[in-house]
Amino acid sequence: MKAKHRYKKVDVPFELYEIDVLNATDDELVAISEDLGLALNLDEMKKIKEYFKKKGRNPYDIELQSIAQAWSEHCCYKSSKCYLREHLFGIEKDYVISAIKEDSGVVEFDEEYAYVVALESHNHPSAIEPYGGAATGIGGILRDVLCMGAQPVALIDPLFFGRLDTPEDRIPKGTKHPLYLLYGVVAGIRDYGNRVGIPTIAGMIFFDDSYLTNCLVNVGCIGIVKKKNVVPSKVGGVGDLFVLAGGATGRDGIHGVTFASAELDESSEEEARGAVQLGNPIMKEPLIHACLEVVEKGLATGMKDLGGGGLSCVIGEMSLASGCGAEVWLDKVPLKEEGMAPWEIWISESQERMMLTVKPEHVDEVLYIFQKWDVPATVIGKATADRILRIYYKGYKVYEMDIDFVVKAVEYCRPYVKRKVRAIDETSPPSNYAKVLLEMLGHPNVASKEWVVRQYDHEVRACTVIKPLQGKINREGHGDCAVIKPTDSWRGIAVTADVNPWMTKIDPFWGTASSFDEMVRNLVAVNSIPHSFADCLNFGNPEKPERMGEFVECVKALGWMAKGFGLPCVSGNVSFYNETPYGAVAPTPTLMGIGIVEDIRKAVTSNFKGKGEVVLVGETLKEFGGSLYCAITGQKSTIVPKTSPRRLKKYVNAMLEAFRRFKIYACHDLSEGGLAIALAEMCIGGGIGCSIDLSGLKGEDYVKLFSESNTRWLVEVENAEEFVRFMAERGVKAYHIGSVEGDELKIRNLLSISVEKLDDAWRNGLVRFTGW
Amino acid sequence: MELEEIRVAVLRIEGTNCEDETVKAFRSLGVYAEAVHLKQFYSDMIRDEEQRSLFDYHCIVFPGGFSAGDYVRAGAIFSARVKSVLKRDLEEFIREGYPILGICNGFQVLAELGALPGFDEDKPLADKPEMALGINESNRFECRPTFLKHENGGKCVFTRKIGKGKMVMFPVAHAEGRVIFPRGKEEDYLERLKENDQVVFRYVDERGNYAGYPWNPNGSIYNIAGICNVKGNVFGLMPHPERVFWRYQHPNWLENPESPGDGRAVFESVIEYLREF
Repeated sequence: MKAKHRYKKVDVPFELYEIDVLNATDDELVAISEDLGLALNLDEMKKIKEYFKKKGRNPYDIELQSIAQAWSEHCCYKSSKCYLREHLFGIEKDYVISAIKEDSGVVEFDEEYAYVVALESHNHPSAIEPYGGAATGIGGILRDVLCMGAQPVALIDPLFFGRLDTPEDRIPKGTKHPLYLLYGVVAGIRDYGNRVGIPTIAGMIFFDDSYLTNCLVNVGCIGIVKKKNVVPSKVGGVGDLFVLAGGATGRDGIHGVTFASAELDESSEEEARGAVQLGNPIMKEPLIHACLEVVEKGLATGMKDLGGGGLSCVIGEMSLASGCGAEVWLDKVPLKEEGMAPWEIWISESQERMMLTVKPEHVDEVLYIFQKWDVPATVIGKATADRILRIYYKGYKVYEMDIDFVVKAVEYCRPYVKRKVRAIDETSPPSNYAKVLLEMLGHPNVASKEWVVRQYDHEVRACTVIKPLQGKINREGHGDCAVIKPTDSWRGIAVTADVNPWMTKIDPFWGTASSFDEMVRNLVAVNSIPHSFADCLNFGNPEKPERMGEFVECVKALGWMAKGFGLPCVSGNVSFYNETPYGAVAPTPTLMGIGIVEDIRKAVTSNFKGKGEVVLVGETLKEFGGSLYCAITGQKSTIVPKTSPRRLKKYVNAMLEAFRRFKIYACHDLSEGGLAIALAEMCIGGGIGCSIDLSGLKGEDYVKLFSESNTRWLVEVENAEEFVRFMAERGVKAYHIGSVEGDELKIRNLLSISVEKLDDAWRNGLVRFTGW
Repeated sequence: MELEEIRVAVLRIEGTNCEDETVKAFRSLGVYAEAVHLKQFYSDMIRDEEQRSLFDYHCIVFPGGFSAGDYVRAGAIFSARVKSVLKRDLEEFIREGYPILGICNGFQVLAELGALPGFDEDKPLADKPEMALGINESNRFECRPTFLKHENGGKCVFTRKIGKGKMVMFPVAHAEGRVIFPRGKEEDYLERLKENDQVVFRYVDERGNYAGYPWNPNGSIYNIAGICNVKGNVFGLMPHPERVFWRYQHPNWLENPESPGDGRAVFESVIEYLREF
């Protein structure tokens, strides 16, 4: 304690301190922020001093803690907001019901239903405690979807770790080995997701050195809700009562958001364990049922989940959103342990809690429903007409502040520098094509993720109609998207998660544009219409101009692609401070794409069916920046693939039209490893070979096979010549390159490998580290 | 019994999570089905209109999920609660010939209740469990499609519409599904099961041969996927028939989109049994 003399215990029968900010010097203000774990800087502390000067009194600890929650990067996006607004927000589509403003995006699904989208990071907790961190990540994203009144129907988990072959002695102090983190995170998602009964249907796993000290755990969720039942994340009206439902409040997860808004270092484990919350899926499961019953009966006027910042954020934000105030009786909150100070209760991030606002005449009915499900629920406050939040504890007033001051937080347009990318290409043909291809298939970023996917229950709820693993049973390959059928109609939702950190690392702008292109390609490959997307932007420390530069370039690229293509960004999350003294993560703008499958009977899977000809759609240029080819061969290129939203749109339209006009048996997008990997994957899933001749295409052979140019697909189609002509009429390049046959992948003059051998390389790439 | 008279209860407590799709499967065949919380059978706090008796129903289903978290042993907590409040009713229900189905976690509950293997017709719930569903040989949760060979000669009321020797595909999703009998009694138990026509489904490979992992996903003795009691009206299985009720829930269904799902016959069989009841 550096500013101990500024803390005065207040004479009440519980723990409450008055903090003397009025007489504190600048140094002391900084010391107070550090002592109390507020993570506020001097300017922000001075703003607080100013506010209390006007009030003519000093703040209590609970008031300072509350401000620290609201002003944390995690809660208020103070570093990112201005750039997001400038580049990304505001893509108008008449089918978007609510974008960005609430906990989740709400988008029209059909006449009757809307789907709900949320995507978030749970990075810092997972780096400290992978099992609990990942599990509570799932818990949190489920609540974000639930609080819109929606039934969660699918989970999506993009994960990023250091390389699995990192030697023990290269692991920095305070860091856990990537393999340990992988085991822990997968187990956490498995044990929470499976228990709560929501299928985990999609995701990605990416290994790169930059994640060694900062693993990233992103979690997404899709929900479905009748449009008439959508519940706003705000107070229904003055006089409504706040009902806190779910688990009891404890000391777990205190300072989670301020911990998430700073860099980790080797002491973080010691200091921050308490910031990691504890999940309980068996409280969550009935909580979901009970909340949905309340919603179905029309008894909730507002609903929001308790996540970062706990009660402090939920009541503040719900009240601000409807321009009212609140009175809270903090001693009504059910506790896990005795002796908690009011500030601890107020900011605890204990899991499995929801806040509802309810008209007084409906409170008994609501409490009955929760009781029926054995879920504790308590009235803890009421909405008032003034815009002031007052908190009482055991009869004493311990908090009185203007909601606008607390919640309408600070905002920075932080300075940034743009990185210059010098164009270098030193690539050359490999000495052995087959060897390179087999090594690529066995690279953990490409290899089969079956070991992970099968540990997740991806079929519970019985509406996963295109599975994450597709093809011959027990010999399946990966698909481009999973598809769910959330209602009784034949309409489906396709989901994919994509980002290419090797590309964004070299060139944040084109890497992000490529990731967007890949997301759209995946959606189209299953014959779904790209409909909306969510982003989870994971970056290093925003106070460093180079990091901020990476962020701004990514956001610019996303906005350019999304606006040009016409795809609305409906939900998102920014995670900064993914940085340690050992370095920052590669810029990682994880994208979750949602497509509408108009009739699931028309969906297309990626495995060869052995019935048609092979056509390559799209153009291949020499673009090896961030490619798998470079990673495998050790060659160098900084030429990250380019793309354009208008060209992508043209190709997408032609592809979607072709799905209606032609018998297309299989379709797969070309991404990591280019054409060679896409062909191999289609062979593996189908358990069938193909004969390919690339002599009709221009360019060098290794470029045709391994370059990762955007906006390309492979299709297996009945009438190839006609298909090519059809595409040409629409200004789209397509090449008939071979047919599906035999049990080898044969590429004329270049390679010939049995499907069995491809399958072996691909299937063992990850399990050689994890074991079966 | 007329189709419209048939009432099915899918029991739920915290952590059961396959009740919606199970209810939906029954309802789509024209019978009345609802998810019923165990508390509705005994708790005072439940309002009158939501109170239920076991005998309001003609068929009881223990659905899949992780009842009460399954933190002790799969199905142990759910079955302990059922025993403490419904034991006598349940025994009478079974003795009268009403059907009971346990899917996945429900199978584990039936084993814990002593309802399966259920050798004694007069004592449908054994005092102690006589079998267990142990941790998979792979030592982890697995979600995968499995091929099953139907081997029942007609005793099991849930599979009468599936021909003997026919192969079906139901997916599994569990961490504890390995059928284990008391040590030293394995052969004896298997003999009795076979003799009594209690073996219902066994795991096979794509060609119909009994095979090891991954075809037998958990290492079950004798490749057992599902068994019924000696009377044939209590049936437990690890794979999920409700997840393949419609063809579109199968892998690779796009090649053959219009036919019914493999699991549908389980629900049709018990409804047919009840109509003749």
